Amino acid sequence: MLSLWRAIRAAGRIAEPSPPRPGPGLAAGALGGSVQVRHVDAGSCNGCEVEIGAAFGPVYDAERYGARLVASPRHADVLLVTGVVTRNMAEPLRRTYDAVPAPKRVVAVGDCARDCGVLAGAYGVAGAAGDIVPVDAGVPGCPPRPEAIVAALRELTGR
Amino acid sequence: MNLAAYGLSAAATIALAAAIAALVVPARWRPAVSGTGTALAGLAGLVGGAAAAGGQSFAVALPGVLPLSGVSLAADPLSGVFMAVTGGVAVSVGIYAIGYARHTGTGPVPAAVLPLFAASMLGVLAAASVPTLLACWELMALASLLLVLTEHRRRPEVAEAGRWYAVMTHLGFACILAGLMIFAAHAGGDSFAALRAGAGRLAPAAWGTVFVLTLAGFGSKAGMVPLHAWLPRAHPEAPSHVSALMSAAMVNLGVYGIIRVDFGLLGGGGARGWWLLVLALGAVSAVYGILQAAMCGDLKRLLGYSTSENMGLVLIGVGAAGLFAASGQRLLAGLALAAALLHVANHAAFKTLLFLSAGSVLRGTGIRDLDALGGLRAPMPVTTAAFGWGALAASALPPGTAFVSEWLLVQALIHGFPGGGTAAAVVLPTAVAAVALTAGLAVATFVKAFGIGFLARPRSDGAARAVESPVSMLAGMGLAGAACAVLALAPGLVLPAIARAVSATGLAGEPPPTGGGLLTLRLAGVAGAVSPMLLTIALLAVMLAAAAGLRAVPGRRARRAARLWDCGAGPLTARMEYTATSFAEPLQRVFDDVVAPETDIDVSHHDEARYLVAAVEYRSRVPDRIEHRLYRPVLAAVGAWGTAGRRLAPGSVHRYLGYGFCAVTVLLIVLAVTR
Repeated sequence: MLSLWRAIRAAGRIAEPSPPRPGPGLAAGALGGSVQVRHVDAGSCNGCEVEIGAAFGPVYDAERYGARLVASPRHADVLLVTGVVTRNMAEPLRRTYDAVPAPKRVVAVGDCARDCGVLAGAYGVAGAAGDIVPVDAGVPGCPPRPEAIVAALRELTGR
Repeated sequence: MNLAAYGLSAAATIALAAAIAALVVPARWRPAVSGTGTALAGLAGLVGGAAAAGGQSFAVALPGVLPLSGVSLAADPLSGVFMAVTGGVAVSVGIYAIGYARHTGTGPVPAAVLPLFAASMLGVLAAASVPTLLACWELMALASLLLVLTEHRRRPEVAEAGRWYAVMTHLGFACILAGLMIFAAHAGGDSFAALRAGAGRLAPAAWGTVFVLTLAGFGSKAGMVPLHAWLPRAHPEAPSHVSALMSAAMVNLGVYGIIRVDFGLLGGGGARGWWLLVLALGAVSAVYGILQAAMCGDLKRLLGYSTSENMGLVLIGVGAAGLFAASGQRLLAGLALAAALLHVANHAAFKTLLFLSAGSVLRGTGIRDLDALGGLRAPMPVTTAAFGWGALAASALPPGTAFVSEWLLVQALIHGFPGGGTAAAVVLPTAVAAVALTAGLAVATFVKAFGIGFLARPRSDGAARAVESPVSMLAGMGLAGAACAVLALAPGLVLPAIARAVSATGLAGEPPPTGGGLLTLRLAGVAGAVSPMLLTIALLAVMLAAAAGLRAVPGRRARRAARLWDCGAGPLTARMEYTATSFAEPLQRVFDDVVAPETDIDVSHHDEARYLVAAVEYRSRVPDRIEHRLYRPVLAAVGAWGTAGRRLAPGSVHRYLGYGFCAVTVLLIVLAVTR
């Protein structure tokens, strides 16, 4: 216990200083400043997952801005879709979208989810996230930087 | 002759006629004859018992019927209450048996024995002398053994259950025989009147011996821990209507024996320690029984353990009554005994209902294993409703049946705290805690039995093909369910009879332990009142108001129908459902030290590569620990003794002649020396 306290004191504050508050975003009003996020890996190489993990880690700390990862689409307001949508994941993605209560938003994270990226036209690819479910925002990059993911989430939370 | 006597003689005549008819009629008519005979005999017993409980007592001596001692019969309010309960159970079971036996088919012997079993139980209750009691008791034991063995040709496990039952019931009979013989020898007569008159002459050692022997004998019939081992074995293997008759009526006779002989004839006097023993055994039976039931995955075995639990609660009442009577608190003694008797009636009602609906499930699906059941609500609506009502009655929550009697029991125990001395100050709070723990575990057990067994989706093909039972079976269950409802909502109807029964045990001269009208139950002497009917109405009103309130408040957002969330993959299968084992797992973890579950994991590897696992087999079971620790060593010792004894008989005629010679010589020497 004491060593934990010591580690906390030694580490100090490692979170990045928060960038200026974004203007009124695309869903700030509808979602009321608190956004529950369900992440769906539709066929990603896991690069975007590492960056999402970093965005919710202690350094970028997206939870400061009112976004929170949850374990079920039934609890969620927002879907974060990563990767090209493979044939096997097309139907589960549709069902996940259906399972999210309204009002809901979908964010395509990474080039693959936005427009299939380097995998466009490959065997087994059903399309980009936007071909399967309506997408409201996209985060470019392969993989996108955590700052970009946090910025996209702040657009949604409005904080 | 009064109504009670007419009822009992009618019951005996009908049962005998039905037994003979069942032997001779063609197989097509056999179930109807046997079932109708049992139901009519039960009805006659119910009427006779109700008349006896209402105050019409009789006594007849028939010296010519049995050689040497003759038969002597009598009925008083105490036996009347038990007769009415037995008769009521027999009516439900008889009607049910018509449909059940038609489905399974029945041989002439089980069909003939069923009415005889009902009549022999009434005979035990009507016995007024030791030989009559013993004769009827043995008749009842043999009849029930034959009924347990009904399906022995189809399933080999039945034979093993029958062996256990035969040995345990006869050991119990031997205990009762020895105890009553000692009692009769000291009292100088074998009629109950002579025993009662002579009880005061017993030396403390003889008193204790008689008490312990009869307690062991009657207690083993009542499923008292640690003599309960036959109960969870025989009940699952017997046909369900027989299980109902045994579990709801026959076990009561054990309680009747303890109340009649130990409380009534031996007198509530004696050392308080003996009654503390009864109370402690009752508490252990209650907690242990319900704990095993909570772990159990077999529907009928679960109900068998629950019988042990309920008889434990009754024994707590009887023990407390003895304790109070011995320390002079006669009012409380009456209250505790009334609670015990009311619980006997309640338990009979709901256990009949539960066993009959379990039999209906068994008939419809062929499955007893809760882990393979489920999804019975749509194909078997009446059975589901019947089991649900029975489960509610068994779980000691209003508007359940057991609630009233357990409330009475707890009231009696709590009001005994002051003025009971040190032993009472330690034992009674512990007993209250045991009753409370039992009630809590009973809720968990019956939520498991009903929720897993009947709701959700079918977990096996057998459950998916379930069909509802025929009308006669449903009618039998309906009668038992109606009895549950009456006992739960208006216990005031039966309490006057129970009060008369209490005063017949030797607590005469006290005001009736409970009063009040039909609606309200008021305790005499201590402050306490409850109205099950108003409680139920209030409960229903609150539920309706809550439902109406939820309807009235408009939802903030529009509702939409959506697919059940299955992680997007789907479809959800029955294998993903909660099972009885998983439901009981947290409880099993909490009571790990008590129930000591056994788990085995067998991992088998591929021959080519030891690192690759071919199959993993996991087995988990909750053995009956008392059986393991107590019965196994005794059985092993008896076995070793028998093997050693075989060495005495090597087959040599000379040796056998020598044994005879030695025995005669030793006998003569002993006689010569002692004379």
